[in-house]
Amino acid sequence: MLVLSGSAFPIQEWSELNYDALGAELQKLRENVAGVTDTVLAASDGIPILADVAKNVDPAHISALAAAGLGIARQTTEVVGLGTLGQTVVFGSEGYMAVYAIGRLSLMVVLGDKGLNLGRLLHESRPVIERVGAILAA
Amino acid sequence: MRDGAVVAVDSPGSPGADVLLVSSGMIGQSDWTAALVDSVELRSLEAALASRGIGATEVQDIATAAVRDGTFAVAAGDIERCFVDESVDEPLLPASTGVDPDVLLAETARQLDVLSSVSPYRDRVVAAPERSGSTVEEREIIALATGRRNARDMAFALGRGLHPVTVAIAGMLDDGLLEIAPPDTSFSFSHWGLAALRPRTGAELLPHPRPREVEC
Repeated sequence: MLVLSGSAFPIQEWSELNYDALGAELQKLRENVAGVTDTVLAASDGIPILADVAKNVDPAHISALAAAGLGIARQTTEVVGLGTLGQTVVFGSEGYMAVYAIGRLSLMVVLGDKGLNLGRLLHESRPVIERVGAILAA
Repeated sequence: MRDGAVVAVDSPGSPGADVLLVSSGMIGQSDWTAALVDSVELRSLEAALASRGIGATEVQDIATAAVRDGTFAVAAGDIERCFVDESVDEPLLPASTGVDPDVLLAETARQLDVLSSVSPYRDRVVAAPERSGSTVEEREIIALATGRRNARDMAFALGRGLHPVTVAIAGMLDDGLLEIAPPDTSFSFSHWGLAALRPRTGAELLPHPRPREVEC
């Protein structure tokens, strides 16, 4: 249950997050979209919440970069008048990093290899974002 | 398809001709990028590659191999729906002569029969303890066998076709060099005990606490 305060972050009562339910969502996404290699859920200030990553991927660094990138992208959509920010995607010669806003308080990072099916990821990620947002707010 | 023959197969399940070309060492990544730029004015990627000394025959061999491998990738996965679309973009590197669909289907059916024991998408593999490969290919695969990757992931990491990589993995599973990874190795979740949406204290922010492994 959430209690709104004057802080940028609502205060959550002492119940722990449902990590099992969040993990199930990340697992489904990696199983359903070919090319997804790693996933991270983080707060919008860059603190990691839950990660499913290879040993060479640091969730703290990824979360911080994703939060910074998403903040700039969100600002850009507002200043340029592009509506509501949906996602950002970094294209590299060896792969992709997609970042999705989950409301204004959290984000999801999806790393993919160069064969990642971006269209499929966009399609599959929408309901995942909805469910993850509901779990985080529960 | 063109004139009844399959000239290109684009699948996220198998590396395309572009990936195979660069990973084969025939052209470096920077030259490939430059060829793509030149191809805009030349209106032909093959012409841009030819100007860098890459012959049409080599390109066509790789494009045809990508068609065969892409068909295997599609057939080995789940097909949810199927439709005809005449507005498909021109493929990057089409196999100019194409492959007869009947030949392609018969060949793919044979490949799937032989590989019935391993799924290139479902099965993620991990190196067997205290075993090492005897060939360069086996050692490369073992180095990538963290338990998180399936044959499709390995094919992209190696820049090789899905079918040959799946065949190699099936053989290494039979030889005991690889094992099917347990679920908690394939999906390894860590969390920091953070209640995401409440204000954090200084103690939580610095330094980063060690993550906790969880089974989901």
